[in-house]
Amino acid sequence: MNSQEKPKLIIDGKRLDGRRFDELRPIKIEAGVLKNADGSAYLEWGKNKIFAAVYGPREALPKHTADPEKAVIKCRYSMAPFSSLEEHGRSGPNRRAIEISKVTKEVFENVIVGENFPGTEINIFIEVVQSDGGTRAAGITAAAVALATSGIPMRDLPYAVSAGKIGDQIVIDLNKIEDNYSDADVPIAVSPRTGEILLLQMDGSLTKDEFKEVIAKVKKAGQIISKAQRDALKAPYESISNKYK
Amino acid sequence: MQSINSIKSTYIKELLNNGVRSGRGLFDYRNISVLRDIIPNAEGSAQVDLGATKVLVGVKLDIDEPMPDKPNEGNIITSAELLPLASADFDTGPPSPEAIELARVVDRGIRAANIIDTSSLFIEEGKVWSVFIDIYIMNYDGNLFDASTLASVAALTKTRMPKYEDGNVIREGKLEKLKVNNIVTSCTYAKVGKTIMLDPDGDEESVMGARLTIANDETYIRAMQKGLSGSFKEHEINNLIETSFEKSKDLRSIINKLNSD
Amino acid sequence: MEIVVPGDMILDKPIHMENTFIEDNKTYAAVLGIFDNEKKVLIPLEGLWYPKHGELVVGIIIEERLNSYVVDLNAPYKGILVAKYVRDKLSVGDIIEATVKELDETKTVVLMRERKLYGGKIIDVKPSKVPRIIGRNNTMIKQLTEGTKSTIIVGMNGRIWIKGGDVALTTEAILRIQEEAHTSGLTDRIREMLEKSKKAE
Repeated sequence: MNSQEKPKLIIDGKRLDGRRFDELRPIKIEAGVLKNADGSAYLEWGKNKIFAAVYGPREALPKHTADPEKAVIKCRYSMAPFSSLEEHGRSGPNRRAIEISKVTKEVFENVIVGENFPGTEINIFIEVVQSDGGTRAAGITAAAVALATSGIPMRDLPYAVSAGKIGDQIVIDLNKIEDNYSDADVPIAVSPRTGEILLLQMDGSLTKDEFKEVIAKVKKAGQIISKAQRDALKAPYESISNKYK
Repeated sequence: MQSINSIKSTYIKELLNNGVRSGRGLFDYRNISVLRDIIPNAEGSAQVDLGATKVLVGVKLDIDEPMPDKPNEGNIITSAELLPLASADFDTGPPSPEAIELARVVDRGIRAANIIDTSSLFIEEGKVWSVFIDIYIMNYDGNLFDASTLASVAALTKTRMPKYEDGNVIREGKLEKLKVNNIVTSCTYAKVGKTIMLDPDGDEESVMGARLTIANDETYIRAMQKGLSGSFKEHEINNLIETSFEKSKDLRSIINKLNSD
Repeated sequence: MEIVVPGDMILDKPIHMENTFIEDNKTYAAVLGIFDNEKKVLIPLEGLWYPKHGELVVGIIIEERLNSYVVDLNAPYKGILVAKYVRDKLSVGDIIEATVKELDETKTVVLMRERKLYGGKIIDVKPSKVPRIIGRNNTMIKQLTEGTKSTIIVGMNGRIWIKGGDVALTTEAILRIQEEAHTSGLTDRIREMLEKSKKAE
């Protein structure tokens, strides 16, 4: 890409949408929004709008996909054809969606206590109905809440966020335009209890020190994301409790 | 093998056959709520909650070629996805016959009622707007037809027309509204034993023998679809047509209220 | 009592409790729940059913095999009834109550002492709410049965069979208990709900 065509993403020390470099877009999460699913959540993250749902554990089918030692985790990340600001998208999972499904599945394979449910499958569905950058991170954050509402045992409640670099500046939570024109894009998922990294992808150019800065900023922002997840999980119980105090 | 749902619903089958429906009348709709423009990225959108059935519709317009037999008209393309997250019985993969039937029936109602004047979608020779209507089923609890038709029409009534300037599609800024000439709604009936009821929920659908959807506007029946392997008598269908003209008044007023708010 | 989420530390020492896990000699919550520090138990607000010997369950026969019947328990694993020990002749679609004998190597729930249930209605609730539907010393279930005149069989798997009496009222009451399970004063509110309905007749 010709650097003359690249729009300026930082003007007068502020990002295009007015955020500070380490500032997240507003996050709102609602747990248990879909009645049929065993667990579900609806998440708004900036302009991103995402439904996450969990079915399972249930018998793994076809039988040859079953694991006699533990539950098989399956994940489908998908974007609605009307989700982008651009053209109508094509139906069916594209290669990007398939890759995201895979790395998302791998986040939850780390935390779901699958040994309790050999021979079963746990299905995680992430449907992006409106997208504006950082959808895989938002999807993982929503799916964690959906899993917690399903009662499936987990060792932690993971969160995820995309960090990046614009010029020399490390920034947190890239929206779509920042994602398109940044100098590095780093989606990360973290297990907050242990600090372990469950998803790490990167594209662009970063020095070793810049990467360390990325991790530090991600973990700091993660406190806010974790709180949003907790609040969503507690909210239904608090509102009913308050009604009958 | 009978599904678990239909076994669990055996209880209501007997009741329904005797005309007893728990919680509402045989011709009452469940609670309906409609929200428009919930997906601002799309040119038009709406969410309908019909009982626990939840449907999202997104409308996008793109530049396209006209169909060879209609060179001066734009296209309407309606699709439906029974998302696997909506029900334990929905699978991933290409659209099932049920999803395709749903999309085609909703499409027929919209097309036959001339909701959109397709000649207004003409841009220049070889270029027209295609209107993509995507029906996304988020939670299944019966009667996807009426919820999807309502959501599609609601979305269309507040759809922005992108601009086509110098070879570019402009989707932002001050835009015209897509001109909507008519409102169509549908009423779907289920037959359980000898009893017919409006707006079947998921349990009722698991024991129904036949289904009839009637789409109409103020004057005309615009589309009909009978589903499943059972049958309807002629007088039953005539009665249901009468009922549809009556019940559709409430559905139309829901849409009209959105427009006046 | 505070609500904990998966990964929250609930004890500084290792104690084996259902719905928790131990790491580095500390005990952590594995599900969304409320930790009762006195009784040293994590009450799941959302949790799955872990079958135990002697528990009563309600199931649906979904398959007839050569020597056994497969039972749907609305749970991750199916139940199984060995044909030669079965009391009545069973067919696919029958509703039964039964007792958990054990889990076999594939975690199938081996059932015994089945009894066929005729007619009636099945509703499925979250297994974590079953204790509240039964109530301490069966107070809640007794109140429901008296107030609705329904026969109610509550399976520990969250599947409930209701027959006779005011089935609609029983269903409504049970779903409300599920919704408000963790609040105080629920028994009184349900009693009021049942009495109000009686007056309305």
